[in-house]
Amino acid sequence: MDWTPPPRRSTAMRREQNLALVGAVVSGAVIATGLLLVLVARVNPDGAARMRGVMLDIVTPVWSVVRAPFDGAGRAADWAGDYLAAVDRNRRLETELAAARLELQRAGSDRRALATLKQLEKVADPARSLIATARIVSATSGSVVRSAMIAAGRREGVGPGLPVIGAQGLIGRTIEAGTVSARVLLLNDPASRIPVIIVRTGQAALVVGTNRPALELHDKVGADLPLLAGDRLVTSGDGGIFPPGIPVGTIIGPEEPVQVRPSAHPVGAAYVRVETAYMVMPQVTPLPGYDAAVPIEARRSGGGAAAPRPPAPLP
Amino acid sequence: MAAAQQRPARQRRCPDRLMAWTAPPWRLMNAAERRRYWWGHWRLAVPFATTLLLVLAMTAPLLVPAPVFPHLALISIFVWATFQPGLMPPWLAFVLGIIADLLFAQPVGVNATLFAATAGFVRVFEARYGRHAHGFDWAMATALIIAFEAATCGLMALAGRPVPLLPLGWQALTSTIAYPLVVALCARIQRLAFGSDGTP
Repeated sequence: MDWTPPPRRSTAMRREQNLALVGAVVSGAVIATGLLLVLVARVNPDGAARMRGVMLDIVTPVWSVVRAPFDGAGRAADWAGDYLAAVDRNRRLETELAAARLELQRAGSDRRALATLKQLEKVADPARSLIATARIVSATSGSVVRSAMIAAGRREGVGPGLPVIGAQGLIGRTIEAGTVSARVLLLNDPASRIPVIIVRTGQAALVVGTNRPALELHDKVGADLPLLAGDRLVTSGDGGIFPPGIPVGTIIGPEEPVQVRPSAHPVGAAYVRVETAYMVMPQVTPLPGYDAAVPIEARRSGGGAAAPRPPAPLP
Repeated sequence: MAAAQQRPARQRRCPDRLMAWTAPPWRLMNAAERRRYWWGHWRLAVPFATTLLLVLAMTAPLLVPAPVFPHLALISIFVWATFQPGLMPPWLAFVLGIIADLLFAQPVGVNATLFAATAGFVRVFEARYGRHAHGFDWAMATALIIAFEAATCGLMALAGRPVPLLPLGWQALTSTIAYPLVVALCARIQRLAFGSDGTP
């Protein structure tokens, strides 16, 4: 042997090095698995729905108990605040009420006229119906997703894809449901798209969340009338989830991109209504279209399972 | 006895060496002793449990329209990976990330990948550069948080749900401010559970 063999590593050192190698391989595999899961979530976004429901059911009851004393303290503070400056508020409200009464009289006659017209034209409106009234108990304020959890789930009949409406306006829609809890996607989430109508101009548009306090108005359809700060937006009823006429927000910045302040804030909305989806769109599976020529014998005999039949038998 | 005293304190109670040379005589123990032996390992779950509690705390009913709540779970993983590298391996961070994804309604895998990468990065970094001052750790955590927010944006886009990057700056800011608080909390738990020398 004309070369010296490498010095033999001690057992402890070898074990250390082997363990380090195994650790590095496991870490790499774990990170690769995570990336794979992200890709799976891209293809199949509802993959872990059941697991998410279980997690919701674990967390929501905990927060409903934990927040109870804070809710009580908040109510006490509200109660005290109601007594301070009550006279000023009363005077202001009385003047507002006088103006609102006039508006209400006009709206009453309008409503009657509209009902008559709808009856004459035989308009069929889907009815709104309440599924549950629930409390917002928790939120994901530390995450890129803006969502809140409500204390009503499949046991009460709450499933994904239902409108959630607060006292002041639209809160969002449910996206996941557990047995006793459900998750609401709030209007501020970047994935939220609300079809709206601008009340003054009648234009249809989409309200989009951006993870900021203000929402944005996109994809305006209709005559290009200039928007004004203070224009009100209500849901249009397009898309089949949200019933029409629910207040969504007020335009605060009419320049592009149009900024919208939501009318209902989930902080103030202690209790929210979960309603049935306004008009569930029927799931239409399109028939496969054939652009190749089909022999006449095949057409007569039915030509396979999904082949479109001709309207009249061929001679 | 003399040999046991010569060994450093860290080796004497280190869990992965328990089986090697301080494994108890299993067949000689009765049921109570076995129970006591197994329950004696509760310290191994302390970093996991702390981080899990902070993940749950991040679902607090704080309804704000922007992501302003500090990412306590990320900071906790960073801190425990420096305090107890053996008890916060990347695969455990991965499990915590899956739980966080399910709780935050994010696509499964976003937090899991990034938590595991964080734990792995800290492990490599600590092995190479060792101990340093609190201020340096804070700066490193800040850089890590900013990288985390940017990578979250990228992975959310990869999962088909793109989010704007700029609002995440709020979370980076609050997380940086919250870092010393989480360190203080974890250090207190570390001293309570592991004693002043920090061996598990």
